[in-house]
Amino acid sequence: MDTGERASRTDAVRGAAWAAPAVLVTAAFFLLPLAVMALWSLWTRTAGGVDRTLTLANYARFFGESALVAALFNSLETAALVTVVSLVVGYPVAYALAFHVPARWQRLALVLAILPFWTSYVVRSYAWLLVLAPNGVVNQTLIGLGLTEGPVRIAYTMTATVLGFTHFFAMLVALTVYAGLKRINPRLLLAARDLGAGAVSTFLRVTLPLSVPAIATSAFLTFVLAIGDYITPQILGGNTSLVLPQAILFQIGRRGDVPMASAMSLVLMAVILVACLVALRATRTEPAR
Amino acid sequence: MLPRTTFLTGAALALAAFTHGASAEEINALVWCDHTDPAFLEPFTQATGITVNVKEYEGTGTALSLVEQSQPGDWDVFVVDSTDVKRVAARGLLAELKPEDFPLADIPPAVQAPELHQVDGVWRAVPEKFGYNAVAYDKDQVDEAAMRKAHNLFDPAYQGKIAVYDYYLPQITQIAILLGKDPKTVTEADLPAIREKLFALKANAALVSDVVTSQTALATGEVGILVGGGEYAVSGLHAEKPNLDWVLPDEGGVRWQQAIGVFETSARKDAAVKFVQYVLSPEGQARLATSSCYWGMPANAAATLDDTQKQVLRWDEQPAFIANSHLYIAPSDELDQAMQSVWQEFLQH
Amino acid sequence: MMPRRLARALGWAAVLGGFYVFVYLPVAVLVLFSFQDGRLPVPPFNGPTLAWYGKVLGNGRLLEAAWNSVVVGVGSSMVATLLGFLAAYGLARHRVPGRRLIHAALVLPLTVSYLVIGLGLLVTFNAAGLPKSLLAVAIGHLVINLPLCFLVAAAQMGPAEARLEQAARDLGASEWQVLTRVALPLALPSLFAAFCLSFTLSWDEFVIAFLLTNFDVTLPVVIWSMLRTGLNPETNAAGTLVFAVSLLLVAGAELVLARRGRAAR
Repeated sequence: MDTGERASRTDAVRGAAWAAPAVLVTAAFFLLPLAVMALWSLWTRTAGGVDRTLTLANYARFFGESALVAALFNSLETAALVTVVSLVVGYPVAYALAFHVPARWQRLALVLAILPFWTSYVVRSYAWLLVLAPNGVVNQTLIGLGLTEGPVRIAYTMTATVLGFTHFFAMLVALTVYAGLKRINPRLLLAARDLGAGAVSTFLRVTLPLSVPAIATSAFLTFVLAIGDYITPQILGGNTSLVLPQAILFQIGRRGDVPMASAMSLVLMAVILVACLVALRATRTEPAR
Repeated sequence: MLPRTTFLTGAALALAAFTHGASAEEINALVWCDHTDPAFLEPFTQATGITVNVKEYEGTGTALSLVEQSQPGDWDVFVVDSTDVKRVAARGLLAELKPEDFPLADIPPAVQAPELHQVDGVWRAVPEKFGYNAVAYDKDQVDEAAMRKAHNLFDPAYQGKIAVYDYYLPQITQIAILLGKDPKTVTEADLPAIREKLFALKANAALVSDVVTSQTALATGEVGILVGGGEYAVSGLHAEKPNLDWVLPDEGGVRWQQAIGVFETSARKDAAVKFVQYVLSPEGQARLATSSCYWGMPANAAATLDDTQKQVLRWDEQPAFIANSHLYIAPSDELDQAMQSVWQEFLQH
Repeated sequence: MMPRRLARALGWAAVLGGFYVFVYLPVAVLVLFSFQDGRLPVPPFNGPTLAWYGKVLGNGRLLEAAWNSVVVGVGSSMVATLLGFLAAYGLARHRVPGRRLIHAALVLPLTVSYLVIGLGLLVTFNAAGLPKSLLAVAIGHLVINLPLCFLVAAAQMGPAEARLEQAARDLGASEWQVLTRVALPLALPSLFAAFCLSFTLSWDEFVIAFLLTNFDVTLPVVIWSMLRTGLNPETNAAGTLVFAVSLLLVAGAELVLARRGRAAR
């Protein structure tokens, strides 16, 4: 008994030792900064300094200032819209890749889909401005097809932000869902067909339910990454309706109000955690396979 | 298996990169983007062997937050709006400058403005460049005469054709002028009226943007008017976009002015002063005035500009323009925070 | 029957074609205007010149930033991959008390946006009196990449691998030998994938690098400031060069894989 206990203790110590560096890094550079930030969020910015009296004033200010609450809602709206649009665009692409492209071409097709994202993110976002300009490709095509008489304003609007985000996240969704679809046992699909299900019915009753985990994963990733991003809304959004990261950088960058920025970051974190829990529930309630 | 040497080489490279950068003489400058042009900086480095590391910002608030996020001694040179010199000096950030080190006599009195750059008779920064936050526009899209009247900017006819330069100080100053207030006497009590007028402007605006986004929007024809624009937004593009121009509103416009100073905590004050001297020299002034990021008027009238450059900058009209323009509101820290809040609301409106 | 199948195939081809057009549209514009003859990278296109590429290759600040990005990316990704692997091994192969809690803690940074991580590090380093630096950025990137590397490595720790490791132990291998001679080689392909993923994320990461650097900056930050300080096709040329290098790397990897595939057959 004694030796067995000692062996299991040695085992635990060894395992802990292997995990220790990663745990230390996470503690020192992730958990500690969060704690420091939480502390700062309870302080307040004064003219030329910081008042270290603990108070919830920053949070009260956040929920009391309509411009900031609006930023929260803009963020939620944008991220939700981006998630839905990316799924709508990305899912059919994943489906086509998985089931309608010959197997030996699939990898090349995937690589081709990822390649454009190895240009610089910042430059790519500016390139979207040129694509959407009045004399850019999109407007010229629309006018050429006779769909509109004059150029349509797309650049510097929320539509442009959503479009810019969808560009990246549709690819992400396509990749994730593709991986999910490839994991479905083809015999299940054959069985459904043998039992007389049509293509649509097979899709709705077999393929779609089986790809729910992949959908949830990609939706979660899209939502979290989109709601925390600064570049796309800053470059494409025209600065006319700010999202939360823009409002946060406004506090740090222009006002030097780190306490307020900390409080707002924690609000952002809370929002993402809720999204995380929702996504977890969505994946749990469905059968894993 | 990944060879162990790859790991070792990688680690060695990483160490080398993290520890490099301790070369001969370097100074760190916190600047507006016109000071980042290699064509402006390189002649100085070649002449003196001093490398200038630049970090650019837009707006004094941004600069002060960068200073707060740094360690004392990180910074040597500070390019700052003239109207903010006193506020910055009050924080003890700016070192004393000796007037005999600089060609102050070549700087016109209105630009020299000792009342802005001196605290208790001591120079804390010297003026180096100025220009206007007026109205820049596209001649192909809007009428030149109409742009001389700032009240036209609120005309629904221009809805969606307007970009607003994203800097609260000149914009709030311009609105104060339009409301008939003297920018020098603006207080927090004036902000509600200013806010209303700003919101009216926002109703006409398509976007609110930094210098480059504004330039892009004008150059692509996305907008026809840049409120708060001036020579800095369009003069540099004159060769390729001759349809872009600017005017100062008849109601009175806003003049921006930059000054340059040395940080009190700098450990390399001699090198820093040398750089300031270069900036104020006729050659340095000409390069700064026509820097790639934005053009502007050199503070030193002896700047070696050629005729085309002078024409694009409307050199001959300067006396009239200076007379009909106001400098930025010079806010206290409290008023500054209040104005920033108004501006945030404006962005979000 | 035939026309219907044809119509369906055409339908799927349209879906894919539309997607690829969408994905390549901004990249095409970016590349096109890197050849713009003139100062403004905006329509109309004036005609081709290679002048901007010359400028990029002569721009010391840009090249230095690109090198910094490589160093930060390689350094942080290597450490993230190594620590992620060790943690996955420790937790999968040993009975560590509170294993699920540790697992959750290691994955937690995934649910936090980069901005929050960057701001937290900024505030903390500031309080500790540590200056902004590339090392700070590398630490930030380590934090965002560690959970991914850990998850990828953990997914690799299956029962098949466990049996091989046990066999090695039964044959008298020490803990160190089991790790380096059995577990690590088995995990290598997925660790390589984790490294590539980390590097890609680090390479294009902006907010953390923006908040934590002053003068020695990474590529996205220098491009951001170039774009803020003057519109010119040089940034397009820089973006295009990055794209071209990626293309070459991918093509190279494909060639190697193809050759290996042939050799295996």
